[in-house]
Amino acid sequence: MLTERSKALQCLSSLQFILWELHLYLDTHQDDCEAMARHKKYTEEYTAMRADFEEKYGPLSAATGSGCAWLANPWPWDTEECVK
Amino acid sequence: MFQYEKKLQYPVRIKTPNPKYAQIIISQYGGPDGELGASLRYLSQRFSMPFAELKGLLTDIGTEELGHLEMIGAIVYQLTRNLSPEEIKKSGFDTYFVDHTTGVYPVAASGMPFTATYLQSKGDVITDLHEDLAAEQKARTTYDNILRLVDDPDVRDPIKFLREREIVHYQRFGEGLRLTTDRLNEKNFYAFNPSFDKQCLNRQQAQNRAKS
Repeated sequence: MLTERSKALQCLSSLQFILWELHLYLDTHQDDCEAMARHKKYTEEYTAMRADFEEKYGPLSAATGSGCAWLANPWPWDTEECVK
Repeated sequence: MFQYEKKLQYPVRIKTPNPKYAQIIISQYGGPDGELGASLRYLSQRFSMPFAELKGLLTDIGTEELGHLEMIGAIVYQLTRNLSPEEIKKSGFDTYFVDHTTGVYPVAASGMPFTATYLQSKGDVITDLHEDLAAEQKARTTYDNILRLVDDPDVRDPIKFLREREIVHYQRFGEGLRLTTDRLNEKNFYAFNPSFDKQCLNRQQAQNRAKS
């Protein structure tokens, strides 16, 4: 059974993956306006979803948190079940 | 600079440890066609890339490979949790265990430690991109072989994801190569090295512009 945090992280990661695929594609297709527009649209969605996630579950990057919030388990290689 | 994101690119959740699988999969951590070699290859080659698209592409793919290294580390870590000495002996993991316990160390499945001889940075864009295309296919074959040896769906799932990424990267490198040859002498792509012979490149680009 996935925890609420795992489910939320999975949604966020899926959206981030779409963005990343578009980003790589745009490296070799910088004139593709449709892909660029899609990238912009998903960036907005991702930014909002990420802010929600971090508010609820703590920072995902060293730039957005320090100390106990940053150090809190789980770390990415731990499944949440094995930390508990 | 680089900044860490506290998440995997794709989730790794393995319920059943299996040291035999760990010993095979560690090859994609520190083996000849593994993720460490891939990231070092692209992140080193990018300095001598002559065009902005290629500087971006090698930076981005090299960075993604570091994320894949982390995923392979997580797979090996989760496959070697809570092992008994009997399980370690029976599985053949004992030859790794004696040197590293269950720490994650960059090594091939054969036991050969990671070496920079697995990669090249040649300072020639055509040469380097061909190495990169080959590297992606070699990694894809290694993932195919892992999928032939591993039954557990929890392990197969992230391995399949990583295999697909090799194919996408191959596609992007192919486009990078095309962008490169489009800017060179169409009768002889090897007339000069655009990463080194900058004056020749400038002359060629002026000629190409005049033609179009």
